[in-house]
Amino acid sequence: MDFLSNWLLTILIFLPCVGAVLVLFAKGRDAVRWTALATTIVTFALSLLLFATFDWHQGNGKYAYASEGGVVQMVQQAAWIPAFNIQYKVGIDGLSFPLVILSTFICLLACIASWNIDKMLKGYMALFLFLETGILGVFLSLDFFLFYVFFEVSLLPMYFLIGIWGGPRKEYAAIKFFLYTLVGSIGLLIVLIGTYLYSRSVFPATAGNPVAGTFDLVKLAGPEFQAKVMSVAGMTSAVMKTFFVLLMIGFLIKVPAVPLHTWLPDAHVEAPTPISMILAAILLKMGGYGIFRIAYPLYPNAGKELWLLFAIIGVVSIIYGALCAMSQTDFKKLVAYSSVSHMGFVTLGAAMMTDAGVNGALFMMIAHGITSAMMFFIVGVIYDRAHHRELARFGGIATTMPVYTGFSTVACMANLGLPGLCGFVGEVMVLIGSFQAAKPDSIIMQYTKGAAWPYIMTLAVISCFGVILTAGYMLWTIQRVFFGPEKNEYRGFPEVDRREITVLTPLTVMAIALGVLPTLTMFVFTQQTVNALFKLFS
Amino acid sequence: MTHLLAAIGLPYIPGWDELRPFAADLWLIVTIVAVLITPFFITRSNIACALVALAGVTLAFLSQLLVRNSPHVIGEHFRGLLVMDQFAMLWKLLLLLFVAGVILMWFTTTASNMHEGDGPEFFALLLSATLGMSLMASTSNLLMLVLSVEMASLPSYVLAGFRKTHRIGAEASLKYVLFGAVTSAVMIYGLSFLYGLYGTLQVGAIGHAMAAGAIGVGGNALLAVALLGLIVGIGFKVSAVPFHFWCPDVFEGASIEVTTFLSVASKGAALVLLIRVLTTIAAGLGFAPHAGMSLAALAGVIGVMGAVTCTVGNLGALVQTNIKRLLAYSSIAHAGYMLCAVSLLVRHKATIVGEDGNSIAAQAILLYLAVYLFMNLGAFTVAALIYRQTGSEDITHYAGLSRRSPLAAACMTVFMFSLIGLPPFAGFVAKFNLMWVLGTNGGWWWALVAVIGLNTIFSLYYYVRVVKIMYLTPSDAPALNVNPLGLGLAVACAAALVLLFIGLAPLSRVTTNYGKLYLTSQTQQQPAQSTAMITGERR
Repeated sequence: MDFLSNWLLTILIFLPCVGAVLVLFAKGRDAVRWTALATTIVTFALSLLLFATFDWHQGNGKYAYASEGGVVQMVQQAAWIPAFNIQYKVGIDGLSFPLVILSTFICLLACIASWNIDKMLKGYMALFLFLETGILGVFLSLDFFLFYVFFEVSLLPMYFLIGIWGGPRKEYAAIKFFLYTLVGSIGLLIVLIGTYLYSRSVFPATAGNPVAGTFDLVKLAGPEFQAKVMSVAGMTSAVMKTFFVLLMIGFLIKVPAVPLHTWLPDAHVEAPTPISMILAAILLKMGGYGIFRIAYPLYPNAGKELWLLFAIIGVVSIIYGALCAMSQTDFKKLVAYSSVSHMGFVTLGAAMMTDAGVNGALFMMIAHGITSAMMFFIVGVIYDRAHHRELARFGGIATTMPVYTGFSTVACMANLGLPGLCGFVGEVMVLIGSFQAAKPDSIIMQYTKGAAWPYIMTLAVISCFGVILTAGYMLWTIQRVFFGPEKNEYRGFPEVDRREITVLTPLTVMAIALGVLPTLTMFVFTQQTVNALFKLFS
Repeated sequence: MTHLLAAIGLPYIPGWDELRPFAADLWLIVTIVAVLITPFFITRSNIACALVALAGVTLAFLSQLLVRNSPHVIGEHFRGLLVMDQFAMLWKLLLLLFVAGVILMWFTTTASNMHEGDGPEFFALLLSATLGMSLMASTSNLLMLVLSVEMASLPSYVLAGFRKTHRIGAEASLKYVLFGAVTSAVMIYGLSFLYGLYGTLQVGAIGHAMAAGAIGVGGNALLAVALLGLIVGIGFKVSAVPFHFWCPDVFEGASIEVTTFLSVASKGAALVLLIRVLTTIAAGLGFAPHAGMSLAALAGVIGVMGAVTCTVGNLGALVQTNIKRLLAYSSIAHAGYMLCAVSLLVRHKATIVGEDGNSIAAQAILLYLAVYLFMNLGAFTVAALIYRQTGSEDITHYAGLSRRSPLAAACMTVFMFSLIGLPPFAGFVAKFNLMWVLGTNGGWWWALVAVIGLNTIFSLYYYVRVVKIMYLTPSDAPALNVNPLGLGLAVACAAALVLLFIGLAPLSRVTTNYGKLYLTSQTQQQPAQSTAMITGERR
């Protein structure tokens, strides 16, 4: 058990990387496929062990290491670059726990979904597994530098996965994705260096630790840094705001939020189905995770000061994304824009800085991870058969493929936020959180001395309309694709096969489970950490 | 007769203590001679000369390693003509390592089609240029400065045009020599003003003299001209904007191993020289402004020059289709990044240039060069391998390389991503280190950090275009049968980039230990000494 809690996270991160090397040496198509699948299965199984080792009751509710009575546990660390005090430091808390499980889960399903990839299979599987290492690394690193490295590392395989195995405009989509994300990363890099420079005055060199400064994310969010960064290190409010905005730009590109979202429809439309699943379900969450792990904990005061900007970005994303989705003629592009709309709730939940808002945003990330993966797979299934994605040409699929229609309806309902399915909980909690922000004791109201009330109410009310728009375009999609008279060109379509059912069933189960038992499946793990994080803001 | 002897003085015979620090340079001289006499003994002289040169460079490398901790190594030698310190030592080691790589690369590219009998000339020239570049690192005397720069330049001019039957090579050589001659003239003209103003050739003494007193309005103008001349001369070698026009043409015209050699060695040596001269002057001034000599303005000029250089380099590279021209513009950009850090060396701040000459800016540049060496050597090696198979330097002919030679394509991808500065490759840590050093100074230097960041985004496009063509553009061209030695060299470079990324700790420790400049301010040297040396008087 001790070995497990010490090494589990490191094994989780690097196991897919080892699998990638094995894949490169595997002979034959089947060997490659099964090696990759075995790797993702083992990784998923190991991540399930976290349920045994992760203790969600632990700690006194402080955002600190378990050894200091906090919530961050299973920490493993080793000095990496002593000259800068950079460490290999991984750990887990309620914020990363659900995302890690989600990542290994979706990667496993995406690996099954990749079964019909034929072109350069070996390279595909190796890059796929390499990508999984990058993703898990992002969610588990506690060192800013390490986080940045994994954040970038996950970029490289994605470029190839879209660029080589993508659709007709794959080259354009791949380079656009790469450029957009790199623009954000450069901002992150500047903040990374800047934060470290300021932290050197807060954590001067001592006898035990000869190098000043730290990249440790938990320490940087801790009370010592927060108390001293302005008074001792001399960071001005302008610098703080600049850093915060640079961080948010970096993460909001990934999320993506309007107006930084234009890479997403292209990347999604061109990427192969399994990669779209990973992109929507996990890669977008790296942005959301960064907001909660880095942007707000490190610079909460800047977050309070700029709340209106990011709340507006969130609301605009919700409404604009939904309107765009409504006007799409391409099924996959519709799902892509619905991602923009849904992830707008995450931005809004973070910007409002209320308990329910933050919890809702976190839940929204997981729920969206399930539903978007499912939606993209559903689009992939129909594309495999029809070889087009034009909504106007579909119709009457329900007669030919009843089982498929059943799965699709669950996915669409979960996506539009039907009570009882996972999408509902997230949306409602974020909306409740938005209205909570208008209460006189909320962080923003306290900070603005009540002046924010009309803005909060306006934004909250507008964001409610997003729910209606979502319902509108989702229902219309169901109607256009599945209902109506049966069309001749779709008559002979085979029903979903065993492999496709294997992918869809667990997603459906999770969509229902998260919707019916949100507390048991999610909040019980995250509550402690979210509370601890939340205390940092107020 | 006695008068004559008195005038020239007794011959100066250096002792071992003075020769030992320069063991590497002495071995290079021995090797040059050995290369030149090799054809008298062996008929197939090209290969033999290459082997002799490789052996000589290896010996020089080892001897430099051996003497690094010997007593009396650090300090001024030959009456102040040459200086040896940790900084120069590490540069020499890197240079020799790189030259060994270039010679290995020669085996895989030009060895088979070089005209028999050209070998001795080629390697004698290559090693002479190396010797000049090695000496550039350890000069703090204006006379030696000019000598070593010319020692590096003249063979380079010939090397650039060494493919005698190539029209484009001749053009490259001519362009190089014309540009070089003009900038050298301007530099020497400027340096003569420095001598005229302060009556000494020792850079450290010049710094002290500057600190000692004002020189009046006219003097200040002369000083400005003098420093401008220095910047022009060295800016040409670094290919800093606006003295960069030669670079793409020369790189395109020269044979590929010469291009490789010039891209790292020549630019690195010039940067190292600039660092030494500027820091020595700044230290002489005590890092404080004195009448007529504003260090802040000097730093500003170099910083702006660096920012403009990397921007122009990256923007110029965007439209290139020839891999050598593309890498030429890329090398302009990387020189610009390093120039940005040079601007820090004249800053007075204990955290940047310490009292003992310990300098984090020098460290950042050394680290950058150590990484850049592998990136460029590798990228050019792959380009050379492909050129040898396809006879084309056009990147559109790289289409389908992922299938035609998977390993070469994978290596090239590593080099391209490393040149962008993406993890998990060492190019990232080099850039991170550089940006960190600039950020440490704060203030306006954050603008340089932002410029470097912005340039990274520009550079992404053209580096990734190479990757895109290799992996994304289909082609039915036949598979390539690349030279195994060359491929091995490329794989070694790629592996080095990954290892240096993971092993940044030792790399950073080494460069920190060696990022130390010997500053003459420690010895309180009198200006009289070097004047005496020039006029021939003995003390």
